[in-house]
Amino acid sequence: MSVALEASGLGKRYGKRWALEHCSFELPTGSIAGLVGPNGAGKTTLLHIAVGLLEQTNGSIRILGEQPGSASVLPRVGFVAQEMPLYKSFTVDEMISFGAHTNVTFDLPLARHRMEHFEIPLDQRAGSLSGGQRAQLALALAFAKHPDILLLDEPLASLDPLARREFLKILMEGIADSGATVVLSSHLLTDLERVCDHMMVLARGRFRLIADTNEILKNHKVLIGPRERAGAISGVEQVLQQTTTDRQATLLVRTNGPIIDPAWMVNQASLEDVVLSYLDSRSATDGPEPELHAIRTEVAR
Amino acid sequence: MTWVAWRQHRMQIIWGAAAVGAMALFLVPTGLGMAHTFTSSGLGRCLSTVGADCGQLSDAFDNKYRGYSFLIPLFMMAPVLFGMFFGAPLIAREIDSGTYRLAWTQGITRPRWLGTKLFVVVGAALAGAVSLAYLVTWWSRPLVAQSASRFRPGIFDLRGVVPIAYTIFAVLLGVAIGSVVKKTLPAVGLTLVGFAGVRLLVEFYVRPHYLAAKTLTVSLVGKGGALRRMGGSIWVIRENTIDRLGHIASPGGGFDFGYLAARCPAVAAQGPFPKGPVGAVPGTPDPITACVQHLGLRDMTVFQPAHRFWTFQWIEFGIFIALAIGLAVFTIWRTKRLS
Repeated sequence: MSVALEASGLGKRYGKRWALEHCSFELPTGSIAGLVGPNGAGKTTLLHIAVGLLEQTNGSIRILGEQPGSASVLPRVGFVAQEMPLYKSFTVDEMISFGAHTNVTFDLPLARHRMEHFEIPLDQRAGSLSGGQRAQLALALAFAKHPDILLLDEPLASLDPLARREFLKILMEGIADSGATVVLSSHLLTDLERVCDHMMVLARGRFRLIADTNEILKNHKVLIGPRERAGAISGVEQVLQQTTTDRQATLLVRTNGPIIDPAWMVNQASLEDVVLSYLDSRSATDGPEPELHAIRTEVAR
Repeated sequence: MTWVAWRQHRMQIIWGAAAVGAMALFLVPTGLGMAHTFTSSGLGRCLSTVGADCGQLSDAFDNKYRGYSFLIPLFMMAPVLFGMFFGAPLIAREIDSGTYRLAWTQGITRPRWLGTKLFVVVGAALAGAVSLAYLVTWWSRPLVAQSASRFRPGIFDLRGVVPIAYTIFAVLLGVAIGSVVKKTLPAVGLTLVGFAGVRLLVEFYVRPHYLAAKTLTVSLVGKGGALRRMGGSIWVIRENTIDRLGHIASPGGGFDFGYLAARCPAVAAQGPFPKGPVGAVPGTPDPITACVQHLGLRDMTVFQPAHRFWTFQWIEFGIFIALAIGLAVFTIWRTKRLS
């Protein structure tokens, strides 16, 4: 398995505050990863380090096997920054020319064609585009590089729900044939679960969970059963969340084998429940998470 | 990338060209007018005649063109205006508006991105500075011809090649400051302050020492003859009246009545404002002259000779260009690791 993005012991400190700490992961080539976490979790910091805009304080990171920001890797990386910065006084066509002049390979007809497709006039000022049009232009600029990896920082934040769906559809169509790796950050999980096959859950500068979504769904279950028997259940590795009524307990658990105890009803857990439980359960303690490592090795397998 | 740099900075470049053009529209006709007056009034011929007294002609000329002195601060400001409008926003605005995240994640490296922008912007500033320097040097020729010294602040630094070096320096100072403070408006302000600081420092503390100054000591009696013979355009760095032992008797030159009165009773007796013309009695020197001769007072002038003008111009040019190159190297290094 080849790796598109890998980090080991990555950390970034601003003054006294660690924006990112102890980050280690390997993202397989071709995966579509959702980088999820609340605002201020360190998502932008991680993406900026990955594209070479920021330098880490410690640890190492490789993108497409190379140093971020190096001359040989820059042309292979597509990046759409948060809020999609564009030169406001440039027309749409001039923005496309900007891409063509600042990249060795740039698919000018593709970018123009996409603008035509979305009925965005080429002579309109970039500063006067709507949020959706801005997003389409920024995405078109990134696509036209034909990147091997595409990183998008909160691309959906400025879009209304309908435009989000449309944007994700266009994004998926655009990379479907290329086999490019995609990392997409959002503070809203619901945006990502439809399209992502990997989840990277980040909170307070640390990864809480990094896994293949299928693995996540396979290894996490919701158990409903008698409250008094909520102690040790065979096949349960860890209870992530527990809600109890007088008699009944509902557990969100990570499994390490089949649950055969007939007292428990086993239900499928939703991706959102699992991710939220990782964001919640670890928010109280910021200690190291040994269990994370197990999941990571599974991803890497 | 050259196209991008031009597209990004074309408004500044067009406005800059317009400003230089407007300057030319004013300087060419007034310069021709001044040159005409300079010749037709006979002032030019007078000034080139050794020993001629051109005071009256010179005053008439000055009165006619005194109004143009408002231009001097403008010419002084021109280089730093390039620094403020061409240099300071070059990196600062990209960071201010967040577009650095776009520019630095395309297919070219930051040094190349910066190099191209500098090439376009410095090139444009250079064209503007050369045009202005040439225009101002030509325009001010009649004014400078009758000036005490071509080294004077307000003359030396507006003419020849130094304004060009100031401009290049100002632009790169602006770029460097922008890369450090990362905000356009503070960068513009600091560019102004920084430029003024460096210029004043060089003007008053560095420039006098480019070459070892010459010293001329003459007797106080009949003073000035030697200096006058050297032409009016030497740069007097300091002038003092010294005694026989070389101690300063009167800072700034001339006589100090108190000093003489304390040493020569005849001077004290005469008082500070003697009636009648001093030294009027032929054959007998007046008390002051006698005292000066008695004490052996001499006038010592430390100066830079007039013929060093171009040497000084090129030395100062070199200093500012070297500073500019240093700033460029710093900015490239800084931009590489900016985040």
